[in-house]
Amino acid sequence: MNKKLKNYIMAVAFICIIYGLMFINLLIPDADVSYAERRRLRQIPTYSMDSLIRGDYFSAYEKYFLDQFAFRDEFRRLNTFIRLKLFNQKDNNDNYVIEGNISKIEYPLNEKAIVNAANKINEVYEKYLQGSNVNYTIIPDKNYYLATEHGYLAMDYEKLIKLMNDNIKDIKYIDIFPLLELEDYYKTDIHWKQERLEDVADFLLLNMGNDISPKVEYSIKALYPFYGSYYGQAAMRLEADTLVYLTNEIIDKVRVYDHIDKTYSNVYMEDKFATIDSYDLFLSGAKSIITLDNPMASTNKELIIFRDSFGSSIAPLMIKNYAKITLIDLRYLSTDLLGNYMDFSKEQDVLFLYNTIILNNSYMLK
Amino acid sequence: MLFSSISFLYYFLPIVLGLYYIVPKQFKNLILLISSLFFYFYGEPKYFILMLISITSGYFHGLWIDKIRNSKYAKIPMISSIIVSVGILVYFKYLDFLIVNINSFFSLSISPLYLVLPIGISFYTFQILSYTIDVYKDEAKVQKNILDFATYVSLFPQLIAGPIVRYTTVEQELSHRTHSLEKTAYGIHRFIIGLSKKIILANTLGEVVKIFGDLAEKTVVFYWMSAISFALQIYFDFSGYSDMAIGLGKILGFNFLENFNYPFISKSITEFWKRWHISLGTWFRDYVYIPMGGNRVSKLRWVWNILLVWFLTGLWHGAEWNFIIWGLYFALLLVLEKYFIKDILKRLPSLISHLYVLFFIIISFVIFNGNGIVDVKVNLMGMFGFLDIPLWNFETRYYLKSYGLVLAVGCITSTPIASSLVSKLKTYKYPRLIMDILHPMIIVFLLLIITGYLIDGSFNPFLYFRF
Repeated sequence: MNKKLKNYIMAVAFICIIYGLMFINLLIPDADVSYAERRRLRQIPTYSMDSLIRGDYFSAYEKYFLDQFAFRDEFRRLNTFIRLKLFNQKDNNDNYVIEGNISKIEYPLNEKAIVNAANKINEVYEKYLQGSNVNYTIIPDKNYYLATEHGYLAMDYEKLIKLMNDNIKDIKYIDIFPLLELEDYYKTDIHWKQERLEDVADFLLLNMGNDISPKVEYSIKALYPFYGSYYGQAAMRLEADTLVYLTNEIIDKVRVYDHIDKTYSNVYMEDKFATIDSYDLFLSGAKSIITLDNPMASTNKELIIFRDSFGSSIAPLMIKNYAKITLIDLRYLSTDLLGNYMDFSKEQDVLFLYNTIILNNSYMLK
Repeated sequence: MLFSSISFLYYFLPIVLGLYYIVPKQFKNLILLISSLFFYFYGEPKYFILMLISITSGYFHGLWIDKIRNSKYAKIPMISSIIVSVGILVYFKYLDFLIVNINSFFSLSISPLYLVLPIGISFYTFQILSYTIDVYKDEAKVQKNILDFATYVSLFPQLIAGPIVRYTTVEQELSHRTHSLEKTAYGIHRFIIGLSKKIILANTLGEVVKIFGDLAEKTVVFYWMSAISFALQIYFDFSGYSDMAIGLGKILGFNFLENFNYPFISKSITEFWKRWHISLGTWFRDYVYIPMGGNRVSKLRWVWNILLVWFLTGLWHGAEWNFIIWGLYFALLLVLEKYFIKDILKRLPSLISHLYVLFFIIISFVIFNGNGIVDVKVNLMGMFGFLDIPLWNFETRYYLKSYGLVLAVGCITSTPIASSLVSKLKTYKYPRLIMDILHPMIIVFLLLIITGYLIDGSFNPFLYFRF
């Protein structure tokens, strides 16, 4: 090949890319959010002389350029391909994929955080729940099923459970680990599938002293495609999940009261399926304190669930046995403020339901 | 602004290159100066004025030196230039270090100033010094055009991370330089290769070092893996920046000297320093070592010269004791090589000489990377099994598997094996044709990969706890 021609191709290709991408970036409108990353994207920074001199103005511009770069998701996919396929790296940003199932490494076990979680549960118990029927359960994350078998780093789950059991006082542990398997979780999301939780819900109800017969029937509603929170993080083209929810006459009539916003809504909010996080379909997603009111209840029993996001999909399957279920998320509501929103009594059943990732990062519990 | 940023690659560079090639010849330096000043201001607005002061000082000292060069006071402006330049450098880079150590030695409690180090100050200060000293020695003509002088000092390709371009290297090119398709294509090639070294290799190897630093349970093997990764990281980082500078220089018509020449293939520490950060080594040789007498002095005086030069070389890298120890460590090795093991090294099989160099270089970068003397000591103890830690564990195996190929690629590309192979293949007709076709494609693909790495580096998922 003529050297001059080669040089010419090199120069033209380089110019085309840097000018092409510059003009594309200048011309395309800025996006507000990244669905893949589930966050708001940075917009053009606001100028001030102070921020200019401090250097913050240009730093903000740097982040803005990165956030709004054209074909951002495609470039991230290219990066993942190079790292995982060319350089044979085991994970990318801690995300790994086994047969279309995405998971994120959670390692190592943070023993102090586990003890902190146990102490937080003890604190809530001592402050509000003494004398009640109080239980706790632990939901394994997907790494429990995927990591060790495929040579990835995983927490010491046995130690986690032992630390919880050793440090939690006067509260009954309900072990749901034997009831769950990898297929109970979405492939592209961190969460479990509601349609596979009937046995877990019944097991919890039974262990809290409820009668679970006769069996309640549900109708199934399926929504596709469901791209879970891990999908965007993995930056790979993978098959979407189907989000299925279970409903019946009881659940249809349940009203969900948000104690903070003072608003009512339904158990399932289908309009949320098209938002940044489709899982918000269940009980409208992250909420500090909500109560499910069951007008068809044949009992006046109440259940309080201290929970993370996993609680949103299992709570509707437990409402059949209660007149009210209150879900409290201690990530958003301080323990000290609980009394302002709740009237605690000894007749209430209580369940602490947390997944292992939250326990391993428990300092977020207020 | 960094070369390895979206703002540089996709905004600054196309705009500057466009303007640079459009304007008539007499305005090219003006474009370079304005863009270089903006380049600096973008990254370091607070110290922008400081750079202007340094440029002004260097320019007027040059004129002053030239004006009284034949008088008996000719040395005064040269010394004044050194005092001003070094004074600024000492104030911003070393004053807090001095205060902390004075406090420690004399049990005082002088408050440090907590100054942030101005970006590139070590590089542009040394460039200004090389200019004024060379003008004094009559080895360079005084630059009377302040725009050209300011362009030389602030030239964005080498402003923040070198190489240290001496005035004499670009003296002619400041006023008369040529541009050609061949130089531009080579410049693009060098720039992208440098960028790839930095983004794909150095940053990825840096992940190993970071993971190691965060690990609770370390192992002997991981101590070594981290040490080797850091040695390669710093090489690809630094030589990558030099490649980028040389490449950008070529595109703009300048010919900067090489700064790295496969240092890890050296067979002695002496040779290593002829291949590593060449512009710094030759700067200290020409402006410190030789003026002190070099090796044409008594043995004792020569050892003193070596110690002083390497003390300064260490200190140049940073205001910390581990950098000083790092410099003195090399002084010791160089003295030992010269008087005791030079002949032995010559007789040894190449493999042994290479291993000798690699061993001491890896150790040197453990010293360099240490966060204080205690940290260096712990790291060295960890590497040699003096800590109560296992040889290896599951975690070590995981990260070795995950980063093993990057490490292997790093090891291979830090040697001339790949480039020798390419040169050899190019002697055959068809392989040469294939490589000529592939070459631009590879460069383009690398640029896209780099963009992917840069963008993924900003990947910032909202933590799943939110959901």
